[in-house]
Amino acid sequence: MQPFTFHAPTRITFGADTASSAGEFVKELGGTRTLIVTDANLMKAGLLDKILSSFKDDGHFEPVIFSDVPADSDVPCVKQAAQLAIESRCDSLLAVGGGSVIDTAKVVNICLTYGGDLLDYQGLNNLPSRLHPLLCIPTTAGTGSEVSLVAMIKDHAEGKKLLFGSRLLAPDSAILDPALLLSLPPRLTAGTGLDALTHCLEALAAVSTSSSLTDSLSIEAMKMIFANLERATTDGANLEARSNMLVASTMAGLAFTNAGVGIVHAMAHATGGRYGTHHGITNAVFLPYGLDFNRMAIAPKYAYAARQLGITNSTDDAKGADELIRVVVSLIERCGLPSCLKDLGVPEFSEVDLEELAEQAITDPAIMFNPREASAEDIINIYKRAY
Amino acid sequence: MSVFGNSDELKNVMLTLWGRIKTDADMSEKLLRSRLLVQFRYRDPEGLLTVDASDGVELKLIWGRFDQKPVIEMAMKADIAHEFWMGRISVPVAILTGKMVSKGPTPKALALLPVIRPAFDFYPDVVHEVAGEGARK
Repeated sequence: MQPFTFHAPTRITFGADTASSAGEFVKELGGTRTLIVTDANLMKAGLLDKILSSFKDDGHFEPVIFSDVPADSDVPCVKQAAQLAIESRCDSLLAVGGGSVIDTAKVVNICLTYGGDLLDYQGLNNLPSRLHPLLCIPTTAGTGSEVSLVAMIKDHAEGKKLLFGSRLLAPDSAILDPALLLSLPPRLTAGTGLDALTHCLEALAAVSTSSSLTDSLSIEAMKMIFANLERATTDGANLEARSNMLVASTMAGLAFTNAGVGIVHAMAHATGGRYGTHHGITNAVFLPYGLDFNRMAIAPKYAYAARQLGITNSTDDAKGADELIRVVVSLIERCGLPSCLKDLGVPEFSEVDLEELAEQAITDPAIMFNPREASAEDIINIYKRAY
Repeated sequence: MSVFGNSDELKNVMLTLWGRIKTDADMSEKLLRSRLLVQFRYRDPEGLLTVDASDGVELKLIWGRFDQKPVIEMAMKADIAHEFWMGRISVPVAILTGKMVSKGPTPKALALLPVIRPAFDFYPDVVHEVAGEGARK
């Protein structure tokens, strides 16, 4: 067995309506003045009402709210929120939202805790000391950011994404409240769900860094996703399906944050960065191609996963891997997600586009965990096939 | 016990290694094309190496204090650097286990890896020649 390190520092609490105790959770973490980071749609939909009441009930200072996080958060947004937190003398953060909101809160926390230039902290294992307490309440089931050790935000001025990765970046506490997901639209439900499935499959494939712990989380999360994603997509009010997806997403988050992701994420990052496509849905388009690309390197592991998922009894690795890819493609179709980049609204590529996208993908941090080395030519080939 | 007996031994090994990288036409050209300023900060024993390709003309190797701000900074124990150049520790594993710190734009740091990989082949010889029998494997 190869050596590994497994970090799971986040306290995880699951239950319908648990978000209405958010104030109590922050108090337990030692927070007295909290910056709530969220987006305008969630505020408008009233999803924060119970959460805000919990602060009043608990005798806190009135929390400060920053609700301007865009779908793909960026440096100006982080700086604006950090400024508000500093001026309001906040000592704790609460993120309520999807991956963009949670990643924003993580990076705001860096600014609030250390001050100085945000760019000095980009990189991996580059944070000097503990951050202020951070509680996360995800309102999508896919990113796993509520337990992950990384955050990514866009730097539009430089045309790139900034990556922050450190075990200190893991939220202190996460509340998984499936009731907050009941109004999530079908396409977002499916797209974020496919993000979670991609986390599972890429963490499983990351053979140099995965472990029995990450494998078991990936496989169990996949069982839950295969059994519940379609139901959660077509019947959004189904609390049981939402619950399973939310917990599966967090399990997948723990798996990938400890094992890494791979070629699918690298290509989705490059594509999303250039064309603004939804991360989870872009993953869904690339996933079958990524699985196919890696099959020659790790067919036995795919086959093992297929047997654990009850997809096949075959001991033939090639057949097992084929079956796994087949059920993934089928799930994507049944969830109504696009199967090609063209349907995702990506314009036709020029040769220069392809070369630049390939360059971005092969230097994306996600790809270092991929079990099979990918050349620029390999990436371009996948782009052409996926179009 | 560290692979390198002291900072001088570390300095001699790293400067010899990078000196050979500099004289390798392919690696040198690719590094110059990157125009990167990379700093390697070692501990146990301590050392600071700056590889400056920023002018795109000459690859400069500076040991010790360097006042310009690097684009990428990599920090690690000297033993981890040795394991890396010996091809015995992968960057993903070193990062996930917290053994390597990368400061700055990670994609640029990762883009360097395939460029310097051919040096894995001659690093063991460098260690043997410079540190001799004193170097612990």
